[in-house]
Amino acid sequence: MSGLLQKNIDLAGSNIPWLEGLRDKGREAFILPTAKTEAWKYTKLRDLSADDFVLSGTDEDKSHGEEHCTCGQGECHCHHHHEPQTNLPFAGYEIHFENGILQTLAFDLPKGVMIKPLMEAVFDGDDVKKYLGKDIDLASYPFAALNTAYLEEGVYIEIEEGVILSKPIILINHTHSCHQNIMAYLRNVIVLENDAKATIIEDFEYTGEEKSRYFNNIVNEIYINKQAKLEHYKLQNEAYKAVHISLSSVRVREGGFYESFCCQKGANLARNETKISLKEEHAEAVVNAVYLMNGWATIDTTTDIEHLSPNTKSQQLVKGVVGGNAKGVFQGKIHIAPNAVKTEGRQLHKALLLSDDAEIDCKPELEIYADDVKCSHGAASGELDKEQLFYMRSRGIGEEEAKRILVEAYLNDVINQISQEDIKTWMLSQATINQEEK
Amino acid sequence: MSKTPLLEIEDLCARVADKEIVKDFSLTINEGEVHAIMGPNGAGKSTLSYVLCGKPGYEVTSGSVRFKGKDLLSMSVEERAREGLFLIMQYPVEIQGVPVTTFLKHAVNAVRKHQNLPELDTMEFIKTVREEGKKLGITPDMLKRPINVGFSGGEKKRLETLQLAILKPSLAILDEADSGLDIDALKVVAEGINAERNEHNALLVITHYQRLLNYIEPDYVHIYADGHIVKSGDKNLAIELEKNGYAAFVKEQ
Ligand SMILES: Nc1ncnc2c1ncn2[C@@H]1O[C@H](COP(=O)(O)OP(=O)(O)OP(=O)(O)O)[C@@H](O)[C@H]1O
Ligand SMILES: [Mg+2]
Repeated sequence: MSGLLQKNIDLAGSNIPWLEGLRDKGREAFILPTAKTEAWKYTKLRDLSADDFVLSGTDEDKSHGEEHCTCGQGECHCHHHHEPQTNLPFAGYEIHFENGILQTLAFDLPKGVMIKPLMEAVFDGDDVKKYLGKDIDLASYPFAALNTAYLEEGVYIEIEEGVILSKPIILINHTHSCHQNIMAYLRNVIVLENDAKATIIEDFEYTGEEKSRYFNNIVNEIYINKQAKLEHYKLQNEAYKAVHISLSSVRVREGGFYESFCCQKGANLARNETKISLKEEHAEAVVNAVYLMNGWATIDTTTDIEHLSPNTKSQQLVKGVVGGNAKGVFQGKIHIAPNAVKTEGRQLHKALLLSDDAEIDCKPELEIYADDVKCSHGAASGELDKEQLFYMRSRGIGEEEAKRILVEAYLNDVINQISQEDIKTWMLSQATINQEEK
Repeated sequence: MSKTPLLEIEDLCARVADKEIVKDFSLTINEGEVHAIMGPNGAGKSTLSYVLCGKPGYEVTSGSVRFKGKDLLSMSVEERAREGLFLIMQYPVEIQGVPVTTFLKHAVNAVRKHQNLPELDTMEFIKTVREEGKKLGITPDMLKRPINVGFSGGEKKRLETLQLAILKPSLAILDEADSGLDIDALKVVAEGINAERNEHNALLVITHYQRLLNYIEPDYVHIYADGHIVKSGDKNLAIELEKNGYAAFVKEQ
């Protein structure tokens, strides 16, 4: 079966009218963007529809005979249960997905914290119905529409009023498909009630043998209520042939704070998109990111921040390092509504090009309809400084290592903004370019 | 007793940006010796030191250079450094985001790896750097700052000297190590360099002033003009130059 939007897929809860209705909306709204689609002008989707992706976890996914298996081990382990494992240097409430399918949930949760499989929350009649798909215009977000059509996997996280989580909630997805191209759809709904504080970490890794092509599509719907604060960290370290498309839709109410940092270093084609609504006064967002790549990858960072009330504040610092024939894309939109006076919106994108064939496309967009606002955007790109390289080498440091040190130094100021020491240390250790693979 | 040559330069010609700068330059430096090179601005002294270090863009057109008996010109920049060649640069480079100590640690370990020695213990290393730094008037606070960024001219030269003290090269080229130093700092830096001297290493001191040579006494002084050495002598040649200038040695343009 080919095409991204497939028919006759059995999804849980198809007898629940509101849920099936929502999926139908997704099915209707999905159209694969083309080169003419403005939002996808720089990030070309190429042959995405021709990849014969099979939905992860379906019978078709599991039905492959061993003779088809290319992992070369005689017996295929693709669907054997892998022991959940992480290399994260800190503790947290871990939630493990494999090939986009929930395996284990965190236990021993503190009082006032609920984490459930999304479908369980649906069946239990939890508030999830109130939140699913509320802030996303499916016509404008084709991949969120596709995600909605396959809505099933993911978690519902609710932090009650005033609860302060001391350890992070860690969502780990390991992909290890090795026999056919799989696609997986994750949908997480995260709600922080008034005065709650939490940290969420997303970690996407590939743990398979042979590096097949696969497609991960993630939608996070995040609701930050009054004076609540969410820190959101993400590491995208997919296999080099993967496609990773993610949207985080965030709504921030009065005095709420959304602070995010994303490091993208994997995949052949990746977009990390963040759409934020600063709904009420003193809502604030920090959207920082770094990306590093080589080979033929395209890595895209897209943001859309709406300032809808006075005294709202947003800050974005995005830095990329692009080598080989790779291409970095940054699209950053700041919208300031007419009544949103005394707001502050700052955006800076910088890129370091490591080769002549590396490319950067940067599209800042400011829509300012209010007076008395502080807004700025900037973009810069450059190359490694030859004098610096020579200086380091003249002290005995090898050329490759010197480059690595300079790349690290380049990204340091963004990563150093991470307020939690152990997460900062982890991200610093991750911010290196993956070896180029053939 | 016959001397062991450390650096042997023979008829070296080199150019930068299609301009012939080093012309038929020959010089042999033996272990334990101090050579001084003096010459007018623009004569090509810095160019010569960059050529010896293998800086990209500096092209050797003819001649040969042997370092410890090996062909220096076929080595990469980092190989030369690991073999024991070191240059105190006239204009040290600023590197934002790389603290002095981190930088030094990378450099030391790269050199040690080349010598098949294990990496240094971090605590031990930091202690050594602090002690050496103290001798040169470099505070622990400065060691945490990004290398050379915002350092004064004199502070940069002290940092270069600190690197020399840590890396312990066989041959150090000092390209105007004295420029930008106040009178007291000149003494501190010179003492720092002298402390590293022994019968197996050597110095090539490029300077405009006799003053540095009062502290680091040269065995030979060479006058460099028009791409090569036009006259060699002992330390008295430097004193003579200080008095009369280059006019007697450099032909009129
Ligand atoms: N990259 C370059 N492109 C063009 N000309 C160069 C380049 N590098 C050096 N030169 C020229 O080569 C000549 C020698 O320069 P160099 O810096 O070696 O002189 P120097 O003897 O060190 O002078 P100073 O005493 O002023 O330090 C100068 O005329 C300089 O302008
Ligand atoms: Mg010079």
